[in-house]
Amino acid sequence: MITVESVAAFRAGVRVLEDVSLNVPAGTVTTLVGPSGSGKSTLLRCLNGLETLAAGSVEIAGHRLTAGPQSPRRLELLRRDVGMVFQQFNLFPHLSVLDNVALPPRVIRQMPAAEARAQAQTLLERVGLAHLADVRPTALSGGQQQRVAIARSLAMEPRVMLFDEPTSALDPAMSGEVLEVILGLARAGQTMVVVTHDHSFARRVATQVAELVAGRVVRQGTAAEVL
Amino acid sequence: MSWDSLGKGGRWAVGLLLAVALLLAGAVAAGSVAAAELEEVVARGELIWAADQEGGGPHVFLDPKNPSQLTGFEVELAELLAAELGVKARFQQGQWDRLPLLLGRTADCVINGIELTPGRQRDYRCSRPYFAYALQLVARRDAPLTSFERLESLGPHGRWRVGVLTGSAAEILMRGRAGLEVDVVGYDGTVDCLEQVTTGVLDATVLDDCIASFYADRFPRLRAVDRPQAGGFYTILTPPDTPHLSAKIDEALGRLLTDGRLKQLYDSWDLAGRQQVLLLRDADEIPPAPRDSWGHLLRSALPLLLSAAGMTVLLSAASFPLAILIGLAVAIGRLYGPPLLRPLLAGYVEVLRGTPLMLQLYALFFLLPKIGLALPALAAAIIGLALNYSAYESEIYRAGLKAVPGGQFEAALALGMTKWQALRHVIVPQAVRIVMPPVTSDFIALFKDTSVCSAITVIELTKRYSVLALSTGRIVELAVVTALLYLAMSWPMALVSRWLERRLERTGAARQP
Repeated sequence: MITVESVAAFRAGVRVLEDVSLNVPAGTVTTLVGPSGSGKSTLLRCLNGLETLAAGSVEIAGHRLTAGPQSPRRLELLRRDVGMVFQQFNLFPHLSVLDNVALPPRVIRQMPAAEARAQAQTLLERVGLAHLADVRPTALSGGQQQRVAIARSLAMEPRVMLFDEPTSALDPAMSGEVLEVILGLARAGQTMVVVTHDHSFARRVATQVAELVAGRVVRQGTAAEVL
Repeated sequence: MSWDSLGKGGRWAVGLLLAVALLLAGAVAAGSVAAAELEEVVARGELIWAADQEGGGPHVFLDPKNPSQLTGFEVELAELLAAELGVKARFQQGQWDRLPLLLGRTADCVINGIELTPGRQRDYRCSRPYFAYALQLVARRDAPLTSFERLESLGPHGRWRVGVLTGSAAEILMRGRAGLEVDVVGYDGTVDCLEQVTTGVLDATVLDDCIASFYADRFPRLRAVDRPQAGGFYTILTPPDTPHLSAKIDEALGRLLTDGRLKQLYDSWDLAGRQQVLLLRDADEIPPAPRDSWGHLLRSALPLLLSAAGMTVLLSAASFPLAILIGLAVAIGRLYGPPLLRPLLAGYVEVLRGTPLMLQLYALFFLLPKIGLALPALAAAIIGLALNYSAYESEIYRAGLKAVPGGQFEAALALGMTKWQALRHVIVPQAVRIVMPPVTSDFIALFKDTSVCSAITVIELTKRYSVLALSTGRIVELAVVTALLYLAMSWPMALVSRWLERRLERTGAARQP
């Protein structure tokens, strides 16, 4: 489902990834671990084109990214098949919880509003927040916000889900409810890449673990082998 | 009742009422200030005379050969008069239709082609006549306007559009004569009228014959049509409570008239000195007009003020939405548009912000017709206000767009939205909420700036007030009525802004943990 080949990337003129290769089969979960600044978030952002590749290539969900700037159209099509969940949730504060989840298919796929809202309601049930559909995101706890963000990504029915430290901004109690949702997705066979510092979670969810240090993959294997 | 319990709208209203009260107090105080009487003028050693150098020749204008030098027959007359009083003459600039307001404050007298009328006899001290004028119709040589009577039937394009100097005898003549198929348009300068006849915005103008002949060479495409119509005399205005100064000016004029110096002056300006002297010598007295009753004044003035208030509302309501749309487009273009476009948009903002609204309106209305693009005054006013305010709106929106956290844009893109979808559905709705308070306050600023449009002949509330106040002499009373009308308009606006703010609080501005 994902093939990363010899990828290099720079951020603000500094080399943050060098010769990274990675393979993620369909239906499996890969976690990226490593110290802060090791490049794991950058690698994740390379997978949906939020970062530009300096060298190498990425194939993901049938789309291909090569070195250098990519056309906006190519990136849009890719991102419709690749969902991403951010550390800071980034929910849209001017919309209700339900509209946050209904907006992407309505705008991007021109789905009729009623259908988009019905689908959003189903997704909110799936993350256990159907009762909060009509409130503003700012009224929710961090854990609840992150679950809405996951539902929002799922609304586009992505073939791959990317998680960028989804629980780092949460206290342990709230992390738990988010991790449960991610585990549920894993059990349902969703292909996922998760950047995390939480090794116990990595052990529970990961088919494969890749450890990055200073922009290179230093170890790769099952959770038992790497952690 | 506490200050806070009043709410925003209530505080606004109290503020406005206070402002009205202050204005009234100021007006009353002004009335009680003793005008500079003869002794004071002599002690000062200067006779301060007011005129409008924009009014043009041959009265008072800047010498084209030496543009720092004021010249004109009235400049020389003022110097002769001052010498008779044993003092020097000092010029004070003012806008022509408001020159009488300077009396007793910054000027001792007004010498600027002020026609002797019963209304002015009532409100000021008017000197004996010093110049005889007649009103001349001027049109383009190729226009079908061949006689004054032709104005009594429709022209090729319907009613004739005739420009006049606001507040002048020409305006009174054109508005007052029955049976004319004419739309009268008031201007702040006679040269503006002549320009607009040349460019075809106006069919004709009516002005004093001495002005028509003075500018005949500069406007070769125009010609005087028919014999001059009604005529009258110019008078020197002094404040009502200056009997000595006014008597002294009359004496001095009498001497200048009898000893030939006035004839000499007029001859040197090609103004038919002998004819002038004869007309002035035999001029009849004009009795002052009776003061209108308060009820009569209200009945005649209120409809005019109300329709002018309607114009103020129309100007703001039509121009502000345009300003917002253009401003938002410019802001988005500067932040997200093609890199080549960005410096152009920045230039657009700086030019419109860096030049006065008055100048922009002037360019739209007076300069565009020169390249064949004549806009009606109302359209020019709305477009001018919209363009000017779009520059300010775009800066507000640019700040609002930048205040939306970067993660919002990234999240929208990561979902697969195009840049424009992200702007339309995610970024702009949040920016609009953020900038609501400064945008509302800009609307109030624009509401007040509509008064600038009077410079391009659009008569809104402030202009209508000033014309009515000067023609009826009821300056304070009409100020109260006008202030109340402004209050009646701004009150609902305060309510709307309060409602918007409450709505904003409910929906929540862009706050991210």
